[in-house]
Amino acid sequence: MSAPSLHGVPDTGVVCADEGHCVTCSDAADPMRVVAIDPADIAVCEDEHGARWDVMVDLVAPVAHGEMLLVHAGVAIARLGEAG
Amino acid sequence: MRFVEEFRDAELGRAVAAQILSVVEPGRHYKVMEVCGGHTHSIYKYGIDDLLPDNVELVHGPGCPVCVIPMGRVDDGIAIAQVPGVIFTCFGDMMRVPGSESTLLEAKAEGADVRMVYSPLDALRIARENPDRDVVFFAIGFETTAPSTALTLMRARAEGIRNFLVMCNHVTIVPPLRALLDSPDLRLDGFVGPGHVATVVGARPFEFIPADYGKPVVIAGFEPLDILQAIHMILVQIEGRRCEVENAYTRVVPWEGNLPALKAMGEVFALRPHFEWRGLGFISQSALRLSDAYADWDAELRYATPGVRIADPKACLGGVVLKGVINPWECKVFGTACTPERPIGTCMVSSEGACAAYYNYGRFAREREVV
Repeated sequence: MSAPSLHGVPDTGVVCADEGHCVTCSDAADPMRVVAIDPADIAVCEDEHGARWDVMVDLVAPVAHGEMLLVHAGVAIARLGEAG
Repeated sequence: MRFVEEFRDAELGRAVAAQILSVVEPGRHYKVMEVCGGHTHSIYKYGIDDLLPDNVELVHGPGCPVCVIPMGRVDDGIAIAQVPGVIFTCFGDMMRVPGSESTLLEAKAEGADVRMVYSPLDALRIARENPDRDVVFFAIGFETTAPSTALTLMRARAEGIRNFLVMCNHVTIVPPLRALLDSPDLRLDGFVGPGHVATVVGARPFEFIPADYGKPVVIAGFEPLDILQAIHMILVQIEGRRCEVENAYTRVVPWEGNLPALKAMGEVFALRPHFEWRGLGFISQSALRLSDAYADWDAELRYATPGVRIADPKACLGGVVLKGVINPWECKVFGTACTPERPIGTCMVSSEGACAAYYNYGRFAREREVV
């Protein structure tokens, strides 16, 4: 999971937990919606709670505004609904 | 949010549970392993096991990357973190994993500059902001996470950032599964396959399980309906005497995987000849190191580390828990000497660990009553 793009790198020191669940340390990934894209294949994506994250989209490029991506550890590993 | 709510529908969940009940044979005991720590977490978070018949038992697999890191590797990471000037970065749960004498969090308290990051991209940003200091990322995770490290290293190389380094502990899923299946004390009827590893590597690499070991595999997502559906599909295969890999997570898992991810991993990583897994011992070709092309970014080549193998704590039965041979509550220190606040074994550290999942979602009290 990337740091919130507007707030730099957080360093809370103890946990990267969502309800006690470390989304980065496991095989978990979050659906997110693309809200902005920069030229270096980094997209700003919004999660289900409205938080925004920097996400590498090299593996699913090109992406468009509004697309739903599956994001793990700061990288989009799939477009949702497209694998078939 | 689309792709989330519809897979948490309680009514549909009960309907699938009823389908599961209709396919099991009374008097037969079924053991199904969920490979991923993420699945373990979802099972307890949503009470999925409460919806299953008594004769369908879920067994927790080795798919928590925090849980399988041996103490010697933690010690090596702490040694690098204690080098003056180094900024050491890692995912949050990794900071609490016990080494032989301390944790990264304790090293931080003693003055080491250890920082939690959400992704390797965050660590690269820190390296950009601190060009006069080495920034080391302690990389863990299966094939789901390895592409993120690979893409970040490719960015560092493209941008000429030489103070970003990686201590690579990425592991691969197939060798430990094969080791588990070769264990004489293991009896399993099928596998809930790792959905996000499969998003990267595809469903095809799991074909050896039905082909060589005669067990069904159903690749599953992580929402409650995903997992219930996968369990149902496994039981239907067993009932119909079929044995194959099925993909119940088609909304993201392509049969052949994500080819750009596999290409990036092929460029940045090489297989280690062997790697030690907490509780499972040394497994051949089960982990990744940086490839020769990325040697300049390899923290283990720049910094000396103790490299000492440390035996697992004897009191902790995490190794047998990881093999699914016993349940977490059957370990003598579970919930007494070993708790999420003061973990002895790694399975109690990460919430994806089987012990922590049991403990955090109330299984501790219930199972003790049963005992």
